[in-house]
Amino acid sequence: MTSNLEGTEPPVIAEVRDLRVHFGSKRGRVHAVDGVGFQIRDGEMLGLVGETGCGKSVTGRAFLNLIPQPPAIIAGGEVLFRPRGGAACPACAGSGCHACGQTGGETLDLLKLPQDRMRQIRGARIAMIFQDPGKALNPTLTIGVQMAEVFLQHKSDELLQDAGISADDRNLAANALRRIAHQEDRWLDRRLKRFPPLRQAAGRIQQALDARVAAALAETQIANPLRVMRAYPHELSGGMRQRVMIAQALACDPDLIIADEPTTALDVTIQARILELIKTLQERHRTAVLYISHDLSLVRKVCDRVAVMYAGRVAEVGTVSDVFSNPRHPYTQGLLAAVPRAGARRGHLASIPGSVPELVNPTPGCRFADRCSQVMPACTQLDPVLGSVGEGHSVACFLEHPPHAGAAKIEKALTE
Amino acid sequence: MQLRDYIIRRLLILPILIFGVSVIVFTLTRIGGSPIGVYLSHEMNAEEVAALEERFHLNEPLYTQYWYWLKAALSGDFGYSGVASAPVAEVFWPKFAATMELSIFSAAVAVTLGLWLGVFAGTRRNKWQDHVTRVVAVSGASLPLFWFGIILLIVFWANLGWFPVGRSNAEIWASIAHPTGFYIVDSILAGSWQGLVDALWHLTLPAITLGFGAVAIITRMMRSALVEELQQDYVDAARAKGLPERLVLNRHAKRNALVPTVTVIGLTIAFLMQGAIAAEIIYRWPGLGRWMASAVVRGDQATIMTYVLFTSVLFLFANLIVDIIYAKLDPRVRLGD
Ligand SMILES: Nc1ncnc2c1ncn2[C@@H]1O[C@H](COP(=O)(O)OP(=O)(O)O)[C@@H](O)[C@H]1O
Ligand code: SF4
Ligand SMILES: [Mg+2]
Ligand SMILES: [Zn+2]
Repeated sequence: MTSNLEGTEPPVIAEVRDLRVHFGSKRGRVHAVDGVGFQIRDGEMLGLVGETGCGKSVTGRAFLNLIPQPPAIIAGGEVLFRPRGGAACPACAGSGCHACGQTGGETLDLLKLPQDRMRQIRGARIAMIFQDPGKALNPTLTIGVQMAEVFLQHKSDELLQDAGISADDRNLAANALRRIAHQEDRWLDRRLKRFPPLRQAAGRIQQALDARVAAALAETQIANPLRVMRAYPHELSGGMRQRVMIAQALACDPDLIIADEPTTALDVTIQARILELIKTLQERHRTAVLYISHDLSLVRKVCDRVAVMYAGRVAEVGTVSDVFSNPRHPYTQGLLAAVPRAGARRGHLASIPGSVPELVNPTPGCRFADRCSQVMPACTQLDPVLGSVGEGHSVACFLEHPPHAGAAKIEKALTE
Repeated sequence: MQLRDYIIRRLLILPILIFGVSVIVFTLTRIGGSPIGVYLSHEMNAEEVAALEERFHLNEPLYTQYWYWLKAALSGDFGYSGVASAPVAEVFWPKFAATMELSIFSAAVAVTLGLWLGVFAGTRRNKWQDHVTRVVAVSGASLPLFWFGIILLIVFWANLGWFPVGRSNAEIWASIAHPTGFYIVDSILAGSWQGLVDALWHLTLPAITLGFGAVAIITRMMRSALVEELQQDYVDAARAKGLPERLVLNRHAKRNALVPTVTVIGLTIAFLMQGAIAAEIIYRWPGLGRWMASAVVRGDQATIMTYVLFTSVLFLFANLIVDIIYAKLDPRVRLGD
């Protein structure tokens, strides 16, 4: 995707605005995410790159409101989301206005959403693929049971319909089956479902469920879905497990998938296959994907746009072709210089001296200042903010956007 | 491997284990003293002693002695108890049932309460409820059973008079048949409310005394296991599917936290059976405890053998149940991983 003409770009479906997530620790407040902002457009794959510990995972988890509080403190910002086919925008009643990015759809602030609304979004509208599928699957439940949970949670009405239980049925048996399908079954329901007349209907629900699970697994090119459904996670290979996680994420055809380093924990030989699979499925379903990675070469391969993070902030954001052919932030330039180095330690950059700064009670100033070869006096006093350097290409660096006059005065006063 | 196959395999090993235990127990008992010690007196002459030795086959090798013992035991003859002045088999069951009722009741309450408290504290990590539970659990694990029991006795029996000692009210129990020897079961079989209340009332103090330590250990284990499970990725993955916290906890975290806890429960049951002796002595509970205490002091070998054998077998069964639950909870166990 090269720079799009205004108006032909797909609408923004998710946006992070000035997100600040801090962690309380013994040494002080860790500013893990400290003013992150970017947009995700419908159907695009946005890469989020940066060294280990720069706040990528925390940012990604914010989309699902899965940041553990405590230790985390949401110190500010918004994570906005516009589900496809959601309710109408209250400002324009669906005709399209500035507030809804001309989509006419409702905009939700995911960090302020009540728990039960958030749960309707999790797994259905926004799904997540975790870094290590060996840890993200419950070791004591079969794949089939774990996959089924997504459908039971979000598609139970369809399942009941498939099983021929209409919403008007209000007899005891139908109520019990409805509770089973909604995962609100009581002890008695679980006993009764083994006996007629519930047994047949419960069997039909199970069949409808199994069919959906098998279809979802088949889509990720799992050859023998029925066998995999009966297996426990430890009986599968790492690549197979990640296919299961991908199938699970795609199960309800979400609008947005957060993929947090989905190939990092895998065997090198299958990383490329999984990456390709994610790309293929993303294109087929037109799902937006936030692809988190510390590996620029992967992002270059599959993403449309990329946001480069450094120490809890976005340093540069733009289309993959702009950022890779014309990196403007010294940190991005350093990252790119480090790309094809085989054998370098994971997430560690040989070409930039120094390491990611401690994010405990940071002072104002560019976070990259102590590693930057072009550091200026202003850099250690003032925070650079993202500013445009071209169509859809922004950089937070004083080399591109010198501090304004007022700030320069302060700086002068400080240096004298 | 299916769970059923696993259970069958374990059941088949059980007789071999029991046989092994009986050999060890027999050998240790014989090393500990002579079986005729309890019958000897200063008035006996050498011939009488020799006759006793003859009767107990003491002139023959140990394995022959064991063989005689095994043959008798299999036919229900566990020897003669010098302390009770009666065949062991006759006096054993009522006392055994009394001890078992106390132990099983304490264990059931301790497991239920311990698991509940562990979940209660684990889901409220570092909140005040967690701290209070921790204090209770630490005291439960560190207070000596004997001392704690006596305090309860002084307060609730001697001073307040809220709870009785002993096992039952003689008047009520004279009117009820005792087919099992377990008073809770007997009173239910007889349909006697009064009897059931009486049995539970008598059980309360000794069960608290006996179960407190187990509650403490199970609570601590369940809490820390749950806290650990709740930090695993699969818990977040379950939340990311949209599951309500109730299911995240019940279907995922709690179930997996049970895996290590169940092992600990198996061990605490062994402690419980040992502690039963002390609790019985404090509360005048007519179980094996006091009988065993005198039997050990006076070298009543038939009694000691029977007691140790039965508790070992019980322990094996308790462990079998624990292992089956363990295998049911964790597929990696039964799938031989
Ligand atoms: N659960 C947590 N407890 C305390 N600090 C955390 C936790 N999660 C993340 N952090 C802090 O946030 C920083 C960024 O973490 P993360 O988003 O996981 O980085 P990345 O995914 O980019 O490697 C970490 O360096 C750490 O200081
Ligand atoms: S603002 Fe200054 S220190 Fe930061 S990247 Fe730009 S030049 Fe370097
Ligand atoms: Mg990460
Ligand atoms: Zn609008």
